[in-house]
Amino acid sequence: MNIPRYLGVFAVLVVGTILTYYAATVDLDFIFPGANTLVALLIAFTKMTCVMLFFMHVYWSPRLIWLSAVASFFWLAIMFAYTMQDYLTRDIGVFMQ
Amino acid sequence: MSAHSETEKFHYHEPGLQHQFEDMQQQEESVSIGMWMFLVQEIMFFGGLFTAYLVYRSRYPMAFAAGSNHLDAFWGGLNTLVLIVSSLTMALTVFYAQKNNRNMQVLMIVLTMFFGAVFLGVKAIEYTDKFDHGLVPVAGWNKRVPAHAGESHAAVKPCWEVDHNAPAEEHPNPRGEFQFTDCSLVKQAQDGNYLTAAERVGYFSNGQIDGNKFRDKVRIFYYLYFVMTGLHALHMVIGLGLMTWLLITAWRGRYNEDYYMPIEMSGLYWHFVDIVWIFLFPLLYLLGRHFMH
Amino acid sequence: MTADYSGTQKLNYLNNGFTLKSWLLTKDHKRIAIMYLITISLFFLAGGIFAATIRLEMLTPASDLLQTGTYNKVFTAHGILMIFFFLIPSIPAVLGNFLLPIMIGAKDLALPRINLLSLYIYWIGGLFTVWALLQGGVDTGWTFYTPYSTTFSNTYVMAVGLGIFINGFSSILTGLNFIVTVHTMRAPGMTWFRLPLFVWAQYATSLVMILGTPVIAITVLLLAIERFAQVGIFDPAIGGDPILFQHMFWFYSHPAVYIMVLPGMGVISELISNFSRKKIFGYEFIAFSSIAIAVFGFLVWGHHMFVSGQSIYAGLVFSFLTMVVAVPSAIKMFNWTATLYKGSISFDTPMLYGLGFMGLFLIGGLTGLFLGAMGLVVHLTDTYFVVAHFHYVMVGGQVVAYLGGIHYWWPKMTGKMYSEFWGKISAMLVFIGFNLTFFPQFILGYLGMPRRYASYPEEMQVLNIFSSAGASVLGVGMIMPLIYLGHSLIYGKPAGDNPWLLPGLEWRTSSPPPTENFEVMPVVTWEAYEFGEDSGLDLEAARAREAAKV
Repeated sequence: MNIPRYLGVFAVLVVGTILTYYAATVDLDFIFPGANTLVALLIAFTKMTCVMLFFMHVYWSPRLIWLSAVASFFWLAIMFAYTMQDYLTRDIGVFMQ
Repeated sequence: MSAHSETEKFHYHEPGLQHQFEDMQQQEESVSIGMWMFLVQEIMFFGGLFTAYLVYRSRYPMAFAAGSNHLDAFWGGLNTLVLIVSSLTMALTVFYAQKNNRNMQVLMIVLTMFFGAVFLGVKAIEYTDKFDHGLVPVAGWNKRVPAHAGESHAAVKPCWEVDHNAPAEEHPNPRGEFQFTDCSLVKQAQDGNYLTAAERVGYFSNGQIDGNKFRDKVRIFYYLYFVMTGLHALHMVIGLGLMTWLLITAWRGRYNEDYYMPIEMSGLYWHFVDIVWIFLFPLLYLLGRHFMH
Repeated sequence: MTADYSGTQKLNYLNNGFTLKSWLLTKDHKRIAIMYLITISLFFLAGGIFAATIRLEMLTPASDLLQTGTYNKVFTAHGILMIFFFLIPSIPAVLGNFLLPIMIGAKDLALPRINLLSLYIYWIGGLFTVWALLQGGVDTGWTFYTPYSTTFSNTYVMAVGLGIFINGFSSILTGLNFIVTVHTMRAPGMTWFRLPLFVWAQYATSLVMILGTPVIAITVLLLAIERFAQVGIFDPAIGGDPILFQHMFWFYSHPAVYIMVLPGMGVISELISNFSRKKIFGYEFIAFSSIAIAVFGFLVWGHHMFVSGQSIYAGLVFSFLTMVVAVPSAIKMFNWTATLYKGSISFDTPMLYGLGFMGLFLIGGLTGLFLGAMGLVVHLTDTYFVVAHFHYVMVGGQVVAYLGGIHYWWPKMTGKMYSEFWGKISAMLVFIGFNLTFFPQFILGYLGMPRRYASYPEEMQVLNIFSSAGASVLGVGMIMPLIYLGHSLIYGKPAGDNPWLLPGLEWRTSSPPPTENFEVMPVVTWEAYEFGEDSGLDLEAARAREAAKV
């Protein structure tokens, strides 16, 4: 890494922040409902990836570091998915009011 | 005790190397893996909060949008930029440690601390604003605004017609309760027919929009807002403590291209706190903003 | 590397400094393990006293010894002390701490100061909890279900919750330390597939600790905030969902069941292989089944919530996955059995505990499948069937494995041999007493006796008397090791470096080990559990040598 590259990553992060702000003020529901959420999260994920790969040097790190980063998000996904499978199916089928 | 002195001799250590390791490389590898494991547990720690956010936002999206719209996205956005700058200076601290540049290390640490402090200052401004407007979810923890005679018209109007930009004095709050009188979004969603199943139960009494029931759901949003940003701010404070220690040791010229693990590790922590905010900003401040028109 | 008993005492971790400071500020994993051992034993004793009180109360159908409110506090205290302060740290913090670095040929854990910190956090969390229990305790059950714990309970929920919050970080730091240590501190030649299975089990446990414990930390923190601020996300009065608490609680607490049993499985793998004097059958399968249990353990938490309002579809998924997670446990059972086949089994005390584990865990595991079946569970939920099931896994599994491990490594930890006679008797008593205590509870539960009540119908008294009688036998069996192990500290025969004549790395250093574990960095050239002809570990030949010496 050298200073121009750090500044480049920084620029991406700043642009992402401004972009996410403006994307939030525009109603994107005409694409599909919840498109705003998706856009905001995609930008956040991009920013996070930039920070992790370059500021946290994961890009140059051993595989174990990659693995632990991926694993933690995998476990988060487990928590989200398995909790939501309850909430999203509560109001259907035999429990429908 | 000859056995002892023999062991001492056998395990000669270079300075900075702890007794349990064979060489610096092993030590650095261990510390680095340890730090990442710590970050994994931090991710899961915040993950619990994000799960709660996910569940309630999927149940009560309108309440979350309404609560979100009463946060100031300008301050939130500014804080995001401030944190990103501090992350840059933190990354540069590591860079200058690798380049043996003590003065720039110190400068970058000072800058990182400065931006960290700015972040907390902005947070304080925001919290004060919530306190003034009766948006702290805990009863009695808001500014007490005495009731004036003849100003009860706010209660008469249906909650979906309340002007939410009115100054604070128009909402008397003698006991410092959580106050949220604007349920225009529910009306909007009802008309547009995109209320969720939980919302169709949760916001209505006898088929009418119930301002109090809606307020309770917004209260959940603000509860999550304060817990999430509060824990994040706590992490920032801990980070500032780490930075103070780094500043002292860097000032003494402790770090160079051969030994900069403490900077690198504190940097990982700092960037992690930044990443949490990168998610908190859109989730708390921005989602639902497009409903404001 | 033979021990020298003739002249001066060799320097080891125990006689290397006698001051209080040399213990309290030590970075030596072995001393930290000993301090854990003492603290954990105290908590075990305290939890045991509460258990005895419960069984005494259940002797009669009426709630005569304890009032119902007190009874609630007593079983809550029993659960909290036993789970958070005994079972979870038991094998990892004592045996793991002591043996993991030695087994992989390291001088210490990778982060010794973190290790000491985790002990102090454990102490602080423990003191905090004990203080809260002495102040008046909690009556919510160890699960702290909302809204009971938030809105209705008038007891010290917040204080106990914070005690558990603090204690959680002790477990996180231990897990973190083990993972780092296994990755970076292995001696030359100690490849991953030469690691003793105990280390694999500890590694899998550590994964669960790191990934799960923070979630319970944030959950009890939210609970404490909710009680403190009188507002929160679990409060149904404002539209919150109490079941979310159960989701977040069990996201940790179900995997925590594997924190409580995986290390035990690790100990049993050691015992079965070593006391059969045979290379373990299916090493890779046992190693990876530990990892599989750690991973799948995170996918099944909903089976605690079948009847608490969770969606029936989520229940289906969780029920199916519960059946799946039984597979790796079964793989272990089959491999242990296959290891016994044609082994030269010696029935020393640790092996008695090991065989006891296999029987008890088998019953505990299989009844777990009953409870994972969505239909049956409607009948069995919150009955004594559940109580019996998890005691078979927790006590019959982890505690028995822990006691077996303590006996097995006692000569290594202290350099002294305990009385094999009393050891065998206590192992027998534990096995008999345990079955007498908890088997009747399966029947009671099937008959519909609900848990957590101080009174019950009179026709259930006979089985309850059996259970209480068994509890007293179990109690005697558990107290006995305390006496003869303590006795052996002073009067025990010197054990020698390798009393069981085993090939593991921990048996190749002196007993007790020196502070740096090995005088020379070991180089590992053998596979785990290698009882070869030329390993010098032939039991008959060694016994002959011993006899010749005498």
